[in-house]
Amino acid sequence: MTTRYVLWQNLLRNPLRTILTAVAFALPMAIFVAAISLVSALIEMGKANERQLRLAVHHKTTIVNLLPEAVRRRVEGLDPQHQRLTAVCGMRWFGGKVPDTQNTLTSLAADPDTFPLVYSDADMTPDETAAWNRDRRACVLGFAIAERYRWKSGDRIVLVSTVPPYLQLEFYVAKVMTAKTQANYFYFRRDYLTESLKEALPGLADAASRCNIFWIKCNSAADLHSLQGEIDALFANTPDETKSEDENAFGANFTQAAGDIPGLMRAMAMVVVFVIALVAGNTMMMSFRERTRELAVFKAIGFQSRRVFFIVLAESLLLALLGSLLGVVPVSALLWFFPVRGLGFGPISALEISPFAVIGSLAMAMMIGLAAGLWPAYQAVRLRTVDALRRVA
Amino acid sequence: MTNVAIEMRDVVKVYRKGRIDIPVLDGLDLEIEAGTFVALMGPSGSGKSTLLHLIGGLDSPTSGSVRVHDTQLEDLNERQLTAWRSRHVGFVFQMFHLVPVLTAAQNVELPLLLFKMSARERRERVATALNVVGLGDRTDHRPNQLSGGQEQRVAIARAIVTDPDVILADEPTGDLDARTSEEILSLLNLLNSDFGKTILMVTHDPRAAVHARRRLHLDKGVLERDEAHAPAAVATAR
Repeated sequence: MTTRYVLWQNLLRNPLRTILTAVAFALPMAIFVAAISLVSALIEMGKANERQLRLAVHHKTTIVNLLPEAVRRRVEGLDPQHQRLTAVCGMRWFGGKVPDTQNTLTSLAADPDTFPLVYSDADMTPDETAAWNRDRRACVLGFAIAERYRWKSGDRIVLVSTVPPYLQLEFYVAKVMTAKTQANYFYFRRDYLTESLKEALPGLADAASRCNIFWIKCNSAADLHSLQGEIDALFANTPDETKSEDENAFGANFTQAAGDIPGLMRAMAMVVVFVIALVAGNTMMMSFRERTRELAVFKAIGFQSRRVFFIVLAESLLLALLGSLLGVVPVSALLWFFPVRGLGFGPISALEISPFAVIGSLAMAMMIGLAAGLWPAYQAVRLRTVDALRRVA
Repeated sequence: MTNVAIEMRDVVKVYRKGRIDIPVLDGLDLEIEAGTFVALMGPSGSGKSTLLHLIGGLDSPTSGSVRVHDTQLEDLNERQLTAWRSRHVGFVFQMFHLVPVLTAAQNVELPLLLFKMSARERRERVATALNVVGLGDRTDHRPNQLSGGQEQRVAIARAIVTDPDVILADEPTGDLDARTSEEILSLLNLLNSDFGKTILMVTHDPRAAVHARRRLHLDKGVLERDEAHAPAAVATAR
């Protein structure tokens, strides 16, 4: 028999209470690990976006207000030698969905000549670029969309727009993008959309060629910041005043449209941690009170206070570890082998387990166990053997 | 080496409750020879348990000195006292105080966790202790599977497994019926007569006290009577 065995047996003293406390740990920790995985994915996404050095230019009032095609030329005019910017790509929201389905895809019409340059993370091969350039109906879509609708390169597909005039367009899949940052995006050629709009709305030829956003691929972070100011200054006090922002800030407009989701998640995680700490602390105090005389006997027969402190604290840590493993391991295993696809949570397409979240959750559980066990362990040290024995004898 | 196992000189113990001092032992002098079975009697609040706790190093006197064999207890700090207790004193309590989730053998083994010894030696010691108390066939029983008397036997085995010099028993039969009490007292007698253990037993029960060779009567913190007797005939302990 070892002290560890005694610890383990103590946990089994009241199996129902141990199970309930472990479950009280497990469920929130499962949510915690999933939430932190999402936040981690957002952070990783942010870092990936930063590496792309893309600057979004849209109307200052709202992204719904369209900017004229001339914006591209004027922006390009700021750096005709391409020393600071690689290319400018105009984009227009299509909002297409597969006929007779509900989910609107993040589908955008992009300038065909500059799209492969600005979206280098689409990772188009020369053949795919050639197919994109050759076929007016070419489209490039993310792997999450491809998986959801079982589309592959070479397929002919149809999307119906959810915005007036509700165009129904046919596309040819030129590329399925594998980049996580592009998993939920669908791009096609803007000239195809412009011509289709002109046909559908002959009286609104000028409006047909307007864009919601211009993406500018910059050569460096410093260039991105300098161009950001110059572009907004260029269009200041015009009918088409612009707002330029980096890709993360632009993305945050959408993820935070429904509230500060990462912030809410962090707040939720903190509440969860606090609640578990209370539950665990209460359990440990109950367990300590039940065993006051037993701990007094331990001290009477020669267990040093330090050892009694360790026994009480280790029990709390063991309970926290068991509970968190019960929650974290199944969820982690499940998400590791079967990541949730097609999530559509802002730019996040899939809920994949993050090693950081697993380690962080277990570390958090240990901290909760420590916090919950410290007070009872301290009480055990302070316990006067004589008083405890007298109280119960 | 002296033959005195326990020596107390002018021991005063005062408990303080708020601003009130409560005297419990008042200048007590006591000597107990090694290998004696002593019964400590007296009304509630007379200081019996306090005396036991002082000798066991669980509490310290307000003034005076306590020596157990060659160890002057007031010279030891808390940590040293705890270590000393683990080697030299065995405790038996009225309510047994066994760990309910451990078997009889594991309960007896508990004090040995503090000693560096092989698993085999530990097993042998536990088996010997349980055989001495007559529970060699109940090693795997948990406390809730044992009778009160058997639980107290396990507690006695736990007290003797470290081979202490002194056994301090606080009302060891207080929670047992008459017949079982006799068995436990016979067992204590056996430990005293066959194994030479010095036993100090607190009891209210005169029938229990007749098993002791010496009976001390404590009242209001003062040793009122000190009687030497031939112990009652030892019945079989098993």
